[in-house]
Amino acid sequence: MKLFKKLALGALAVGMMATVFTGCGKKDSKTFTVGFDAEYPPYGYMDENGDYTGFDLELAEEVCKLKGWTLVKQPIAWDNKDNELNSGSIDCIWNGFTINGREDDYEWSVPYVDNSQVIVVKADSGITSLSDLAGKTVGVQAASAALDVLTDEEGQKALGDSFGKLQEFGDYNTAFAELMAGSVDAIAMDIGVAMYQIEGRGDEFVILAEHLNAEQYGIGFKKGNTELKDEVESALRELKKNGKFDELAEKYGLSDMVCFE
Amino acid sequence: MSFSVMLEQLAQGMCKSMLIFGLTLLFSMPLGLLVCFGRMSKNRLVSGIFGFFISVLRGTPLMLQLMVVYFFPYYLFGISIGNWRFPAIIVGFSINYAAYFAEIYRSGIEAIPKGQYEAAQILDYSKSQTFFKIVFPQVIKIILPAVTNEIITLVKDTSLAFSLAYMEMFTIAKQIAARDTTFVPYIVAALFYYIFNLLVAFVMRQFEKKLSYYN
Repeated sequence: MKLFKKLALGALAVGMMATVFTGCGKKDSKTFTVGFDAEYPPYGYMDENGDYTGFDLELAEEVCKLKGWTLVKQPIAWDNKDNELNSGSIDCIWNGFTINGREDDYEWSVPYVDNSQVIVVKADSGITSLSDLAGKTVGVQAASAALDVLTDEEGQKALGDSFGKLQEFGDYNTAFAELMAGSVDAIAMDIGVAMYQIEGRGDEFVILAEHLNAEQYGIGFKKGNTELKDEVESALRELKKNGKFDELAEKYGLSDMVCFE
Repeated sequence: MSFSVMLEQLAQGMCKSMLIFGLTLLFSMPLGLLVCFGRMSKNRLVSGIFGFFISVLRGTPLMLQLMVVYFFPYYLFGISIGNWRFPAIIVGFSINYAAYFAEIYRSGIEAIPKGQYEAAQILDYSKSQTFFKIVFPQVIKIILPAVTNEIITLVKDTSLAFSLAYMEMFTIAKQIAARDTTFVPYIVAALFYYIFNLLVAFVMRQFEKKLSYYN
């Protein structure tokens, strides 16, 4: 019995070591480092092969191809994005990054996607308009544009104040689990993300027809870094001209939302 | 995506988690001994400084400490921190665990009866001989269960590296969960941690058996 136990544990150990060591990867050299939240499909996420991809990251890749740069995709914790950018560990934030409300905080590229903040509810919740949310618990990602909208005087603060509670969370998976479990009644988020989530989860959820606002995405560079911003922007224009930009928008189902000409 | 691909990706993350685990143990265990000596120093100033070091590191969340270590070179000195992410994680974990290990060592050292020191003195042992030949071997035996506890905690604590977006297993599990809109990766991650800790517990039990030569 004892021997059997030892053998079993030994086998386990060997098996784990084997999977772990075959999995060990290597590192790239550094040139143009894009910071993004890897839990933000379809803009930036990890694909089935374990590589980071998404609309924004593929655009960044094309920009690097044009410029002859090496792209480094650096996932970041979204709460730490300013620290990461200011301290130089990333060159820009490129990840469905809302300009509105942050105009003066970054060196912005031209807007390239028209986005809206929307509310997602359970299909059978009986909530059909924004006014139905009065007294309800609404989830919103920490440090997100949706949170800004709901707490900004010029945005939807009045609506935000009518909620019973504004519940901040870290990632959308947790938020949807809370919505399913009934601890929140609705979630505020970007429309592109909402569509991806609903596609993955079936028609249990709906997006309210009334949107919270209309806003735009851009690429955020460190304040004062106009040189890099201009280079990336000109490359982006080139991608628009040669059709690559629209091709990618189509691939990620964002054709209706791109606003870059 | 297929289950095997997910397993492989999580295994890749486990590799990084184990790297944090191994390096942290490597640095924090000797460093802890140093801190312990400082803490037990007869010089009030020295023991006060180390006591403060321990109280801060034990009294604040590790996640916060990681962020402080990672970002302080920029905010204090304005240095760009391009490749500092991984070293920062190791430094953060090592000093935090050194504080805990220091207190565990102290508990072991203080458990040795004073009579042994007196006996050693009569037998003409020097101070360092007394510590390394008589006290320390006994200390190891005494503290082993507490150390095992700490090591097992460390395995799970490696997941806190997600706060600096280091691609260890928990971070990857979160990303797979986001892409596939499911909770399955978390269950697999839990299994990985559990199996690894089974191994840790097994190895430590062997150590204990080996050291129980008087029973």
